[in-house]
Amino acid sequence: MLDSYRKDWHWRLLTILILVSIVIGLWVSTSKVNYTWRWNRVPQYFVYHNETIERVPYDSRVLSIDEANNITTVTVKNQFDELETYQVDTDTLRVFVDEDLFSGDQIGSTFQWQAGPLLHGLGVTLWISAVSSIIGLAIGLFTGLCRLSRNLTLRQLSILYIEIIRGTPLLVQIFIVYFFFGTVLNIDRMAAGIAALSIFAGAYVAEIIRAGIQSIPKGQMEAARSLGMNTPQAMIHIILPQAFKRTLPPLAGQFISLIKDSSLVSVIAITDLTKAGREVITSTFATFEIWFVVAFLYLTLTSILSQVIAWVERRFAVSD
Amino acid sequence: MIKTVDLIKTFAGRGQTIHAVDGVTTHIKAGEVVVVIGPSGSGKSTYLRCLNGLEELTSGHIHIDGVDLADRKTDLNKVRREVGMVFQQFNLFPHKTVLQNLVLAQTVVRRRKKSEAEQKARALLKKVGIPEKEMEYPIRLSGGQQQRVAIARALAMDPKVMLFDEPTSALDPEMVGEVLEVMKQLAREGMTMVVVTHEMGFAREVADRVIFMDHGKLVEEGTPEHFFTNPREERAKLFLKQVL
Repeated sequence: MLDSYRKDWHWRLLTILILVSIVIGLWVSTSKVNYTWRWNRVPQYFVYHNETIERVPYDSRVLSIDEANNITTVTVKNQFDELETYQVDTDTLRVFVDEDLFSGDQIGSTFQWQAGPLLHGLGVTLWISAVSSIIGLAIGLFTGLCRLSRNLTLRQLSILYIEIIRGTPLLVQIFIVYFFFGTVLNIDRMAAGIAALSIFAGAYVAEIIRAGIQSIPKGQMEAARSLGMNTPQAMIHIILPQAFKRTLPPLAGQFISLIKDSSLVSVIAITDLTKAGREVITSTFATFEIWFVVAFLYLTLTSILSQVIAWVERRFAVSD
Repeated sequence: MIKTVDLIKTFAGRGQTIHAVDGVTTHIKAGEVVVVIGPSGSGKSTYLRCLNGLEELTSGHIHIDGVDLADRKTDLNKVRREVGMVFQQFNLFPHKTVLQNLVLAQTVVRRRKKSEAEQKARALLKKVGIPEKEMEYPIRLSGGQQQRVAIARALAMDPKVMLFDEPTSALDPEMVGEVLEVMKQLAREGMTMVVVTHEMGFAREVADRVIFMDHGKLVEEGTPEHFFTNPREERAKLFLKQVL
């Protein structure tokens, strides 16, 4: 490890130099277009401190004020002689004991951390990708097996499905699912988005699964059959576990693609990460910053997924 | 035990049909050890694979314990339970440990309890001489050990017949002996065996009967003494001259 560092330190240095010069080049060119970077505006779109103002609904009189752990409990008696209590953050307290309050007067306020639009969008993207991956895997597994079936109809139907999906753009598929099937079958935009992505992923997964199954030596099936297993038993216990191990790297690639492709569902007004980014830009005009942040968030999601897959691969490698 | 009548198996390839097995008729009795020999491409492996339905028959009949494999109503999976097979390339399940290799079919096909199946598997591993390897994955075993596991795996199903498809051909020479020893032990215990092999020594020592095949046809059959010392057919004489 140390040896390799010593040997090619100059190449590492060159990599760093190239990256640094790209960054400097970008910085110089953006400074020429007269763009004001406002990175400080970005964090509030992840989480923000939401202020809830507490007011008295009726004319009241303050009876007591108790403070504990920065939270103050205010007890008031309103015009109907009923007791009411309010909890506010201590440093926002606006009243004192025995003060007379009029309807709508402010007692104080509480602050809570709330997820901003970018975090919400990230959640939606994660949810859509996860659900579509699972459904896509199921569709792909089924179609992949149909593709290898001895039944001609199953084979032809699966080939037709795969060819249609792989031969048309995802964006067009999303429009068709949303505007055509969405109208005909009366499904909402979220379901339409997930359906379009699942059907799209399914076609690619089917081809991956087919290739995986075909890559298992014929002898494995023969050995399983010679022990008296029927085809489904041999598939479940012998072929699919081995095929799954081999297809893990291409499947991971497919699911990483799916996370990225899910950005296209923003065209049917699903507020995923991409659409959330666009909405934030309309209110901040921090175009450059937000798109960089959105890209970084996608990169984070995909890197985490590939780390997880790499870990699973290492777990499976025990029998190699 | 196994009766084959006029067995024909053809493969269609590149505009010509190849008669891999061409009208073989023979009867293998229970407890008999039959060794099938012949030059490569003579159809002996295909013949063996027909015996447990891995190849579909073109015409003719195979009766195993009275059940006709050519009959469409026959449940091949049921027949295969009673016919163990050992392959040239071992075909162990690489994603399962040695013990799991032996246990799987017992629990899935024979519906045995796991504890019972494991007990049987351990006994068989002891019998083939590798009880200490049960937690290993097949890839960590030598070829000879893998083939012995494969034999144990087939035996775990309590088959009535064992088929061996060139079990020692893929092994390093020094490992052939250990596999043949296990097979000899099986033969001594009275197992019905059909063995396709190039091990003439094994044929001479263990076989009750030798079948010589060429071009898909059964050319000559007889006891080893007769076949190795005094074959009738010219083709058999030529073959023996080349291999001995």
